Amino acid sequence: MTADIHSLVGAYALDAVDDVERAAFDRHLRDCEACRAEVAELQETAARLADGTWSVPPPNLRGDVMARIAATRQAAPVAAVRPRRSGSLRLRLTAAAAAVVAAATAGTAVFVVQEQRVRHEQALATTGSRERTILSAPDLVVRQESLTTGGHVTVATSRLQNAGVILLAGSTVPADGKVYEAWTIEAQGPVAAGVGRTAVSHVIENLSAASAVAVTIEPAPGGTKPTGEVIGEVKLT
Amino acid sequence: MAERGTSRRPEHLRPLPTAGDAPDAGALLTAVARGDEESFGRLYDLVAPRVYGLVRRVLRDPAQAEEVAQEVLVEVWRTAARFDPSRGSATAWVFTIAHRRAVDRVRSEQAAADRTMRAGVASVDTAYDAVADEVSNRLERQQVRNCLDDLTELQRQAITLAYYQGHSYPQVADLLNAPLPTIKTRMRDGLIRLRDCLGVGVTA
Repeated sequence: MTADIHSLVGAYALDAVDDVERAAFDRHLRDCEACRAEVAELQETAARLADGTWSVPPPNLRGDVMARIAATRQAAPVAAVRPRRSGSLRLRLTAAAAAVVAAATAGTAVFVVQEQRVRHEQALATTGSRERTILSAPDLVVRQESLTTGGHVTVATSRLQNAGVILLAGSTVPADGKVYEAWTIEAQGPVAAGVGRTAVSHVIENLSAASAVAVTIEPAPGGTKPTGEVIGEVKLT
Repeated sequence: MAERGTSRRPEHLRPLPTAGDAPDAGALLTAVARGDEESFGRLYDLVAPRVYGLVRRVLRDPAQAEEVAQEVLVEVWRTAARFDPSRGSATAWVFTIAHRRAVDRVRSEQAAADRTMRAGVASVDTAYDAVADEVSNRLERQQVRNCLDDLTELQRQAITLAYYQGHSYPQVADLLNAPLPTIKTRMRDGLIRLRDCLGVGVTA
């Protein structure tokens, strides 16, 4: 029976077992040191599959979590039983949910940013398909740089499409009355390329005119000429 | 500057750096276990994007993802003292909690409605969600492509259907039209091959 239950080790590491099987496997693990080691390694491996699933959390998440932990008693070091899910939480469908998908590794990333989803839903229906076309181009090149204020700016470009997508995800929120603003640097100077409080998503058309993408922090709602210092720059040539 | 048009083969041979692992997640988690809220804030900044991203990937619903991500992060705070460095890295510990919570949520939804049906209906989701999934798929291929390419088709599908879609192994067997024991075996040997390819090790 032990050999049989152990055949679930891969499914267990992938959370692909049901509750009964999970409990049975946990019992099995208590008696088998070698099995615990194998599970640890396979879980470590499975967790690496999470590397490519980076998304900017909704801006209010941090505050909500910090408030909750301040009121949450910590468990004792030795695990007794797995806790049940704590009380029900409010669903939030409010605006300003930022969703960014990116590779957090190897310096490459593409972000797809969703900001103020409800309000902008209609606009997204059209820009989304344009972004999709660009992002699925066979010659897509992805460049990423850090922002000095935290977070990243990523530019995915396709020469074939002569277009690109700017995706900015700040890990800090600018001071009240300020926003992130992206710029394409062109021969005649910087051209405004998207504004946001935590995230910016912008399609660059006529990519060949742009030599770089820069990011500044500007007074809301953003301007036509940068006034703040550059906090991030991605060179395109 | 990081640039990547085509992936170079040897890249997968060294462990992928996880985003901003300095400050060290393990040290932060140890401080969190002692009730240090400031360290928790720093740990949050380190892992929250991947926790949220993973949960969102599995659930495919930003609103639910936010709720579950919040539960996961509070759980990390609550049970930090139970993290055992000899059993793996701090980030893997966090993502294991996140993945399990996301899968739990998927399963509880399945009790109410068949998820495959819902997935079909949900395909009229916002354009952004569709793009997000597409990009995410594309990036996964870019990053772990070399290692996943080393797997057999069945190994790869068994692993990705379980991990990213939250399917149980009987559901995976169903979807792939393969016998249950085969799927169990493919999940295990597929992960082992992935482990060797990624160079994942746990120093016990």
